[in-house]
This record gives sequence, C-alpha cells and structure tokens, in this order.
Amino acid sequence: MKRTGILFFPAFDWSLGDSHPEREERLLYTQEQLFEEGILDLPQIKQYSPRVASLHEGLRAQALFPSPEVHTDSLDAPLIAAGSAILLGEARVRGDIANGFVLARPPGHHSGATVWGNRGFCTLNNEAVLVNHLRARFGIKKIAIVDTDVHHGDGTQDIFYHDPNVLFISMHQDGRTIFPGSGFINEKGGPNAWDQTLNIPLPPGTGDEGYHYVLENWVLPRLQAFAPDLIINSAGQDNHFTDPLAAMNLTANGYGRITELLRPDLAVLEGGYSIEGALPYVNLAIILALAGEDYHHVREPKKLDRPVLSLAALKPYLEELKKQHQTITPRFTIQSKAFFPKGNWIYSPRSVYYDTEGFQETRHDYIRECGHCAGTVYIESSRSQSPQKSMLVRIPFHACSDCEQAGYDLWEHLQHHSEDSKSGLLQNQLHDKLTVWNRKEGLKEF
Amino acid sequence: MGGTYTDAVFIHDNHIQRTAKVLTRSKDLVETIIEAFDRLNIPDEQSLNQITVSTTLVTNAILQNRIPPVQLLLFSGSGMRIDALPWPVSYLELSGEMDFRGREIEPPDQSEWGKLLTPNLHENPALVAVIGKFSHRNSLHEEQLSTYLRGINPSLSIALGHVWGQANFYRRSLTTYLNLSVSNLYHNFAQELQSAISARKIQAPISILKADGGIIPISKLRPIESIYSGPAASILAALTQKELTASSIVVDIGGTTTDIGLVLSGVPLLSSNGAQIGPYSTLVRTLAVRSIPVGGDSAIRATDHGFVLESYRLGPAYCLGGNIPTPTDAMRYLGLIDYGNERLAEEALASISMERRTPEFLHELATAIIDAVAEKIAVAVDSLKREWQEEPAYKVWEVLHPHEDRAFNTLVSGGGARGMTTALEKRLRTPVQLGVFPEVSNALGAAMARPTFDCTLHLDTYMKRYRVEETGEQGKWSGSLRPYLEVEGFLDTLAQQQAAIYAINIDDVEKDPFDFFPIVHGYKTVGQIIRGAVHLRSGVIGRIQV
Repeated sequence: MKRTGILFFPAFDWSLGDSHPEREERLLYTQEQLFEEGILDLPQIKQYSPRVASLHEGLRAQALFPSPEVHTDSLDAPLIAAGSAILLGEARVRGDIANGFVLARPPGHHSGATVWGNRGFCTLNNEAVLVNHLRARFGIKKIAIVDTDVHHGDGTQDIFYHDPNVLFISMHQDGRTIFPGSGFINEKGGPNAWDQTLNIPLPPGTGDEGYHYVLENWVLPRLQAFAPDLIINSAGQDNHFTDPLAAMNLTANGYGRITELLRPDLAVLEGGYSIEGALPYVNLAIILALAGEDYHHVREPKKLDRPVLSLAALKPYLEELKKQHQTITPRFTIQSKAFFPKGNWIYSPRSVYYDTEGFQETRHDYIRECGHCAGTVYIESSRSQSPQKSMLVRIPFHACSDCEQAGYDLWEHLQHHSEDSKSGLLQNQLHDKLTVWNRKEGLKEF
Repeated sequence: MGGTYTDAVFIHDNHIQRTAKVLTRSKDLVETIIEAFDRLNIPDEQSLNQITVSTTLVTNAILQNRIPPVQLLLFSGSGMRIDALPWPVSYLELSGEMDFRGREIEPPDQSEWGKLLTPNLHENPALVAVIGKFSHRNSLHEEQLSTYLRGINPSLSIALGHVWGQANFYRRSLTTYLNLSVSNLYHNFAQELQSAISARKIQAPISILKADGGIIPISKLRPIESIYSGPAASILAALTQKELTASSIVVDIGGTTTDIGLVLSGVPLLSSNGAQIGPYSTLVRTLAVRSIPVGGDSAIRATDHGFVLESYRLGPAYCLGGNIPTPTDAMRYLGLIDYGNERLAEEALASISMERRTPEFLHELATAIIDAVAEKIAVAVDSLKREWQEEPAYKVWEVLHPHEDRAFNTLVSGGGARGMTTALEKRLRTPVQLGVFPEVSNALGAAMARPTFDCTLHLDTYMKRYRVEETGEQGKWSGSLRPYLEVEGFLDTLAQQQAAIYAINIDDVEKDPFDFFPIVHGYKTVGQIIRGAVHLRSGVIGRIQV
C-alpha cells in the first residue's frame, strides 16, 4: 500500500506573541477538521510523533550568530519543527512511506544561511535542515525544493544559492507587493550553481488556473530536467483567497491540484494565516491529494468573491518573464581579500532585515569559483549597531581538495589573524563536522 | 466471563474467600452468572456490598453479527469523501452542514427528509441513528431531524451522534450505530440479571465493567462501553497484586489467546484510539491491550527444519488427552507444570522429530518451543511499549518531556502462566512474578475494579458555547471572554453534576492543565477557546491479601 506519513505538531503551547499570526490557535481548527474527518483512520495514513533536532543538525544548514548558546532559549519550538521534518524525511528515504506531510509550527523558509534572530516568523529553516541531514546521513545527491508559499522563500534560496545539487524553485506573489521584497527573475543562483535557482514572481490576483498553468508549463519541465532524487514542497497556504497577509486567489481545491501535480516526496508546512477560512480546508486537501484520495469534495465555507486574474491576462506576463529569464546572463564581481587562498572569489554584499525584532544584518559573501564542486563559501556577517563580525566558513558536500583546503585556511586565519571577528562557524559538510569558534571561549564541536 | 468459562470470586476485606469456575452457556448468560454465583456458596448473601459483572454479551453479539440493523442518517457535509473510509453498514447522506466552531454552513433541506425517509420509517420497531459532521460542536441539525422523525412515528428508537462528544465523524457514527443496535439486548440482560439478584433479596448494587477498566451501575451503562472488559479485568487483577506505583507488563496467557497490557506507575495505559470491534471503529475508551493468538494450547506443527507454532488450537494438549503437541506438552516434559501425563508429553515432543529422540534433544526442543511462545509475547510487549512511547505530542512541553523508559516488572496469569515464567524472565529481562489465583484473574480484576470518570470541557467564549465530550452536553456560556479561575470552577461544577448521576465520589480527581487558545480577529483578542479535563483513572479498590 502506498503510505502517507503525517507529522502533526501544532505547538499548542507556543506563540510569537499573544495576538501574533504565529500563535497557539493557528492549527487548532486544522486539528478539529482533520480529526473530525477521521483522516488518521484512513488505512494508508501513518501518524508520526515529533522529535527534537540537535544543534548539530541545525548547524549543518545554518550558522547561529553570534553563537548557538545565545539562541538556545528560543529554539525549543523551531528545533522540534526541524526535527519533525527530519523524522518524516528519514521515513520517506527508508521507504516506510511513499510521501508525507510535516504539518508543524513554526515555519522556516525565511531563515537563511546566517541567523541572528527570527524573521518572517522563522528561526530555523526546516527544509534546509532536513535536506542537509538527508545528504549527510543517507548520501542523497539531488534534491529539489519547490516553494509554493505566497512569500518568496528567501531563506531557503540563501542557503542553497551556491549549491548545484539543490534545485530551488519559488512561486510567489511579486516581491514588489509583499514581504520579503525579493525573489525576482534575475536571482538565478551563484557562480557554481547558475540556473539552479528559479524564481517565478506572480501578479496579485493569480488564481488556481494561472497557478496550475505555471506549474505545468514551467515548474514541472524544469523539475523533470533536473531529475531530483527527492522533491520537497514548502507548502505555504497563504495563496488562499482568504489570507489576511497576501492577495492571491487560490482555493483549497487548487492546493489539492498543486500537490497532485508536484507529487512531492515531502510537503512541509510554511506560512498561511487564514486559520479558520483556509487552513483546515487547505491542509485537508493537501493530505487527501498526498494519500491519493479525492479532494474535490473539500469546500471552504466562504466563496471566492474577488476578481481572479484571467489566464489570458497572465499569459503575456509569463511569456515576457520567461524571455527575461532566458536572456539574463551571469554577471559576477570578482573580489578577494588579501588573506584569501588562491582562486577566483566572487563577492556579493547583502543586507537582511529581521522584521520580528526590527534590526538589520549586513553580510559580505564570498564564494570560490570552482569547476569541480559547489565551492567554499566565506560569509562575514554583523548585526546593525554592532562592530563585531561573525563568520561562516562552509566546505560544501563533495568539496574538491582545493576548496576543502581553502576552507581550512580561512578558518585558521579567522581564529588567529582576524582582529574584528568575534565568532564563527566552520560548516564542514564534507566531513559532517561543525565547529563553533568564539574569541572568548575558543573552539567547540557540535 | 469468557467464551469457554465463567469465573467468579468472593472477596471479603481484601481476602479471597472462595472462587468458582463454570462453563459459559452462550445462550443464557444470566443463568451462567447465577450458576457461578451459586457455586461461591456465599454464607450471607444479603450482606454483600457490591456485585460486579464483566460480560461478553455485547462483544459477542457484535462479533457474531447478531445485532439488528439501524437506519443510519448522516449530515456528512463537505470535506473528505465519506466512502474514503470503509463503512461496514449502509447509510443515507443528507444535506446540512456545520463547521468546526459549530457554525451552520448550510441548513438541512426538509423537503429532502420527506422524500427520502418517510417510506421506511413507519415500520416498527425501527432504530434510527442520526449523526452530523461536527455535531459534537453543534447538535442543532441532529435535534431538528429527530423532532421531525418523532413527528412521523413516535415509537421510533432514535439515537443522536453528539452524545458521543469526541471528534471523528466516522467513529461517532459507528459508535452511535452499535450502541443503539445492542441496546435492547443489553437492557433485557440487565433487567433479567437485576431481577434474579433481587429475587434473592440481595440489595447490593450491580455494576458492569467497561473497556476502560472502570465500573458503572448496571442501569447507567451505555451498552457499547462494555466491550472488551475481559482484557481490562486481567490488567486490573495485576493491579491488586502490586504496589501502588509499580510499572508492570501484564501477561494473561490463556489456551489460545494471550492478552498483554501495560501499567505505568500504577495506572493502566489507555489506548489513544477508540476500540476496534470487528469491522467497526468506535470512540469507546479502552485500555491499550494486545491480544495475540498464542497460548498453552496453540498447535505445534513439525516441519523439515523443526517446528512451527501455529496461531490456532486443535483441542487440548497431547498430555491432557489431545491429539497434537502443544506448548503445554513442552512445559510438562520440562517439569514446569505438574498436571498432564508425563509420558504423553514425551510422546508429543517425539512426534515432532522422528529421527532424533534422545533426552538431550527433546529437552532442547521443549525449551525452543517455550522460547518461541515467549518470543511472540515479547514482540507484542515491544509493540505496546512503542505505542506508549510514540504517543503523538502536540505541545512543546510534551516533546521536551518524553516518556522515559522505566523499570518494569512482569506479572503473568492465566492457565499457561506457570510454565512460562522462566522463559519470559529471560526474554523480557524483567523480574517475572506469577499472579495469585491465576485461573480466576478475570473475576478478581472485575471484583476489585473501581469507577472511572472523565469530564472534558471544550469552551468557546467567543461563540459563547461549551460542550462536554463524555456526555455530549452542549450549553450556553454566559461568563467572561477571558475567564481564568472562573473556568476552573465551571469545570468543577460540571464534573460534580455528572459524577452525581453515577454516584461517583470524585474528591481525588486528577486535573489536566487547561489549554488556552486566544482567538484573534485582526490583531485584537476577542475571546478564548479553552480545553480542560478531569479524570479518575482506572484502578482497584485495594490490594489482595494472600
């Protein structure tokens, strides 16, 4: 029997604030709906119970700055959501289930390679932690992440931007009209992973028909060309026409169809804050579609009464977008620092706004151009109003020996010769070793 | 009461005075009970304080499909297609829909009622069950249809789903169906038993044992809750022989079936799902029990490579006059039990292996057979422990405080118990103790059982409605939007009222911490959904003194 795993972790005792959208109530009605339907009595459904991810598992994908210890108090819920993704991902890879749905809070896709706090309701990136776990422990090579949340999955993009073995596709409401203001067609990946990031910004008002059209005519062919070992869907539910934070017009049935078209190995809940009007129905439709059951009978009580952008109006927009996508060529700045190991280092500065607490992160990213592997990454990061920097050195999965050595050299320099650095993480994905350095306390393995 | 035998035990002051065992006459259960009762030769019947009965009446009627059909009417609403789940009975779907807050999405269509229902419902007697999706949040549609049906035919027996106030439309429907279907059978039994006892001028109240290990006055029982009281009784029997806070694996080894349960710090583990009986999934609360088809009389078949322990019985053990080798023969051969013919036991073992019949080899073979039984039991114990450890968790606190593996001891009872203790000790790696009076453990557990009680509140202060899961009571909330102490008092009052109906003392009731869900519209908190519960877990009234 084709089994579908469900890991339902609504975190009923956790919120980001009393009246915050990410609050205890968020999955309460989803629970009511799923339990009342008898979803868990479907013979093909298998329920799993959550587990906590370790810091090691978290640090494989993300650097917690200035140090992991600073975050420990606020990591309980995020580590459970990430651990839940790992648990169900392992069940999938072992073949215990054919697919699964990590229906857990809190979400994660706005959380990037460096983490100073919560942004866009996210602290840890559940999908990224999962993906790097499956690569480290199960040797999975090629993974595709398709983000169908209404917001650009900027955190996930950031983590895998230089990684040729992870295809990241995000469909979202145009970043000029919604948080986080990114995800444009020209964001196509770093020098060693060019074209492994695909952003498809959609105009507000896009509905089921338009969304499915984009999936069938752009996303699915791209997926097929990549031929991943695993497809993960960042299943945000805020494209629903009742969502209070967005302006798209998808229905619960539309979400069922998305799932049916994508056929993800794992869906992972992201955003979606119409907790009564959408979530119970969208979650139900997604589960039914995963389980191979008919979802057409799922009907949200409120009728769609907003004007939906017609396919005829959307098509010219998409054609223009596709044309742009094809004509964009890589333009990278080569720039290195005096102490950098040999090679071409591509420089890109970045600024990340943390909306939850209201501060800015300034980043200087350097990536070693490499024809053999994903390339060593060196990131200098600082929080606004703080002169001290924290560094991330990443030696990627399957690193070539030059890149591996470059990583060690940078790590060495950081500890002994860099005046203004406060702390750092050596993310050695090649050997699954995670070392945190702190000027005061020295080295610590996680 | 079991399929083959019915046990009885007379207890005074926590001392077992007398025991009895009679053959079960499935056609006449009341007579069987009275016969067992008489065999006890209780000196002063009139001074009995309490009579408790655990009966297979309802279980067997359902499993043997001896229950009358019920017309099942469903307000199935939208959502998952109703036929995605296996329905063992036919049903009729009606329009009308509620949502998870108990708000009406679509009113019922009365013209549909007229067309669809009228032809069938003039017959007598007719049983009708009406269940709406989310009726546990709002019973309005069920009540409306019930009123309508009574108007057509006042003599209909109508059962409404919302009185089974837990979520799960599918299970609620089947539970309502079964409970109504067996109600006549049960009420006849209850009446007959009560008159037989009253005829002896015995004033002691009669209670019935439920699947959750609690007892309830015979007249208050919802009949379907009496299923699977046998395995529950076995677990309770173990409780009467242990310290209050011990954690135990309870193994009741019968002739063909072994029941296995878990006791955690003195409290039997409840199943997180409702009971499954035959093809019916229900909401009936039940102790977590594994029943596996292995026992002292399991048939052993010789194969090229040794033997296979079958999951069926072909009559009694060879050493007791049967035709086929069994684990009992192995126990006899090794001298672990003292009943049965020793020479026949040897013959039975020799028949498994034609070529080698040295005493060393037969000894090895007998040990292997007993180890095979222990292995099957151990696999079930592990699966039960897993169910406990992998209970779903919905809160951060629960995940951070997982069930810790604790030191278990094992208590074995039942006919096959004596010969299995050593093998189980080795395989389960826990101390194993043989229960007292293992042959009447079911009766012992039933006799010592105490009432269970649960009152689970769901309060929605914004909708101004409250519901009680166990009774299906639904009412209006007139308190504040964000009550705190007020809701504690409210739950206490509800629980006291409910307990009074069953004459249960709930002074030392266990309280779940309340869950508070602020309801936010825009960025403003407009009310709360509050969930809370009190419980009296299953247990026994005392320790048996030996």
